[in-house]
Amino acid sequence: MYRALRLCSHGGGFEAIPDPPQDLDLGRIRASLEAAGVAVVDARVLLIASLEPEVTISRSGRLLFKTGDEAAARRALRRLLEIAPLDAPRRRRASSPTG
Amino acid sequence: MLMSGGIDSPVALHYLLRQGHEMLAAHLDNRPFTDDSPLEKIVDHLRLLRERYGQPIPLYVLPHGPTQIALMRGTDRHFGCVLCRRFMWRSAERIAEREGASFLATGEALGQVASQTLSNMRSATASVRLPVVRPLIGFDKAEIEAVAKEIGTYAISTRPGVCCQAVPDRPATRSDLVQILREEERVDVEQILDDCLRRSVVL
Repeated sequence: MYRALRLCSHGGGFEAIPDPPQDLDLGRIRASLEAAGVAVVDARVLLIASLEPEVTISRSGRLLFKTGDEAAARRALRRLLEIAPLDAPRRRRASSPTG
Repeated sequence: MLMSGGIDSPVALHYLLRQGHEMLAAHLDNRPFTDDSPLEKIVDHLRLLRERYGQPIPLYVLPHGPTQIALMRGTDRHFGCVLCRRFMWRSAERIAEREGASFLATGEALGQVASQTLSNMRSATASVRLPVVRPLIGFDKAEIEAVAKEIGTYAISTRPGVCCQAVPDRPATRSDLVQILREEERVDVEQILDDCLRRSVVL
C-alpha cells in the first residue's frame, strides 16, 4: 500500500501516500495505538500519534512524519504498521438493494 | 500584525514599521498540525526587524491547534481554511483591543493560496470590527520575495518546515458568508476564543 517515502512540499517532513487511497477506520487505529501506549490526538478526520517522530494519519491513508530524517521516518512507519491496522477500511452500512 | 513564519508577513510588517507605526505581532500557533519551525522562524524574523527599526515588537503566541481540532470535529471540512482564518482574526482582534491597537494587519496578497481569494478574505474578516490593513495586497510573489531578500527575512522563511496538516483535501476557494455562519453555529465560538486567549503567551 505504501511504495515510497518522499519529502513533503515544505521540506520539513516525510510523507507516505497510499496507492490506492484508503478510507481508514481511524477509531480502530486510535484504539490500537492507545492500547500500545501511544498518545493520540483525535481530530475526527485525522489522528496525530506521538511516535518518535510524531505522525499525522489522514483518513485517506496519507501519513506525515515530522522529521527531516528519512531513516527516523522509516523506523516510525515500521512501528506504526506493527501497532495499527492501516489496511482496515471503515465499516460501511449495508446499502439497501435496488431495482 | 499576524505572523505566519512565511515569506509575506515579515515583508508586510517591514512596510508598516517603515511608515512609523508602532506594531505588535501575533502568531496563531498551529501545533500539533505543524512543527516548531513557524514559531522559530517568526522569532528570527522579529529579531531582524527589531534591530532594523529599534522597536520592541512584542510577539503574542496564541494556541490555535485546539481551535483546529474543534473545527475539524464540528464543521464541514470543505470550509476549514475560511473558518480557521475567522478564528485567527478574532483572536488577533481580542489582543489588539486589549493592547489598544487601532488596526489589524496581514501579509495576504490576492490569489496566492486557497484562503486568499477575495471572497474568502471577505468571509474571514467579516468576523472582526477593526480595520484590516494588507500592505501587500497587489504585489506578486516575485516582488515580495525580492523585498524579503533585501531585508534578510527570505532565508529564514524558506528554511524547511512541515506544512499545515489541517488544510482539507479540497479547500473552498469561494465562500458564501451565510453558509460560513451556519457552519460556525456548530461550535462554541466564545468558549474556543476564551480558551485560546487564556493560554496565550508573550515573547
